[in-house]
Amino acid sequence: MPRNAAEWAERPKFPPTHYVDSRLYTDEGLFREEQERIFARTWIVACHESELPQPHDFRTFRHPSGANLVVVRGDDGQVRAFYNLCPHRGNLLVHAPSGNARSLTCIFHAWSFDCRGDCTGIARRREGFQDRLDPRDVGLRAVRCERGPGGFFWTNLSDEAPPLGVFLAGALGELAPHLDEPLEVFHFQQVAIRTNFKLWHDTNSEFYHDFIHYFNRVTGMQQRGYYDRKYVPYPNGHASVGSMQVQYDRYEGGKERIGWPGLAPGGWILVDLFPGMTFNLRTSVLRVDTAVPVGPNEVIIELRGLGLARDTPAERASRVRDHNAIWGPFGRNLHEDFLAVAGQGVSLRDGRTDARWLLHAREEGMTIHDEVGMRHYYAEWSRRMGRSASDPFAEGAADTAAAGRAAE
Amino acid sequence: MRDLAAELVYRSCLLLDDRDFAGYLALCAPDFRYTVHAYAPEIRRDMVWLDHDRAEMEALFRNLPRHHSDPSPLTRHATVYTVTPDAQGTRADVISVLQVFRTALDGGATTLLAVGKLRDTVTIVDGRPLLAARVLRLETRQLGIGSHIPF
Repeated sequence: MPRNAAEWAERPKFPPTHYVDSRLYTDEGLFREEQERIFARTWIVACHESELPQPHDFRTFRHPSGANLVVVRGDDGQVRAFYNLCPHRGNLLVHAPSGNARSLTCIFHAWSFDCRGDCTGIARRREGFQDRLDPRDVGLRAVRCERGPGGFFWTNLSDEAPPLGVFLAGALGELAPHLDEPLEVFHFQQVAIRTNFKLWHDTNSEFYHDFIHYFNRVTGMQQRGYYDRKYVPYPNGHASVGSMQVQYDRYEGGKERIGWPGLAPGGWILVDLFPGMTFNLRTSVLRVDTAVPVGPNEVIIELRGLGLARDTPAERASRVRDHNAIWGPFGRNLHEDFLAVAGQGVSLRDGRTDARWLLHAREEGMTIHDEVGMRHYYAEWSRRMGRSASDPFAEGAADTAAAGRAAE
Repeated sequence: MRDLAAELVYRSCLLLDDRDFAGYLALCAPDFRYTVHAYAPEIRRDMVWLDHDRAEMEALFRNLPRHHSDPSPLTRHATVYTVTPDAQGTRADVISVLQVFRTALDGGATTLLAVGKLRDTVTIVDGRPLLAARVLRLETRQLGIGSHIPF
């Protein structure tokens, strides 16, 4: 029955782990804390090795912490990451999103840097600085950069954070055998949405929303094995979802897909990685999402589609077609997902939001419509933020305050 | 030829704006093919974002009612720049600039959604111009929530 204002504000009759306070998605202060406590300390996908195939190739990346980065393949083949910022006067060092340059030269005053971050040129140094400036004191700020499964380069702004392998904690284990071959990015798209980044990751973390996707209903939900898919939680807030055999021909115009090395026909493995990345291997295409939040109600989602580097032109065309059918800008599923999270962005628009609580309370034995993926994510969020996701400002009932303290 | 080709381009925009998909397909030759491309400087590659023959376009339109789609009207504004007929005067390459605007159903605010260029191949069949091929090259790569209906 409809509820009055007081009833609407009552906490849900679920454990505090099974719902979150909607201000997680709207509060400016929480967002700034997330940038500092989460994004500046976790490993984030910056780019893929196929975007930097040659020595001196570079690629820029707007890091979710707010820092602008540039990733460079050195003349020694090593890939390094730096702040994309000239130490002289703070100008953006590299303006193009990608390219090849033996020297990174600031357009402002022509200071230059090599692929290892060393300052190699200061215009009219002797005349202006005499002996007072050693170029070794004005090198670029190095950012930790590691190659992960599938050839992705991950970055971490923290010099103290554990290595990438510790952070991943085996979450890509089920996927890793399928990422052994060299891959290649064939699709890159940024999508700016007025919504909170966690709402996008929530969508990737639960399959209950398959009801919005006609394509998924007929090719998956109505097929054998769908409800057997299981969530597996991993340390650090990651979770994976087991496979099934998707029946693509059940959608009008759908065609059998060419598959992927080692993956069963019609197979589909999805891994959600804290705090906002998803690896989604769907039969013939790997899609990787990276959420780059701009504000509490604004996110840029970087979408990559990948095939095998050894694809023949016909194989590649087939993967591109499969990708576009559901995940392209004109695809069936992506638009529906964006409709959903954009709608949440409208209703959860600011501190006076219409919603008070968001439920993550479905329990179905860790299977596909269980919302354990989101609960697992917010347990990690609470741990890192030192706040209970259901009571972030410690103003609720005793049990939620206790849960918050436990999370800390 | 120029007038025939230009009117065909403009009619195709009007019919898609009206979601008159049958009317749009009636402007297309049996071997019609529609592709959408965009170049990504981030990965330094040309991308194909849609590649449909006529049968695939028909299936796309038939499936639309089964999906959740943004109901906001799209308005296509094309300007035909050049029409280059072949020697026989039975085919022509037509280059147009396309702008696509989205008008929010709730409130009616209009925003520019995309700009690009159309390269159409127009063929004359029984004195009637038909679209044999349409290649849309988008400059805009941030398309917001996207669209189920091609531009």
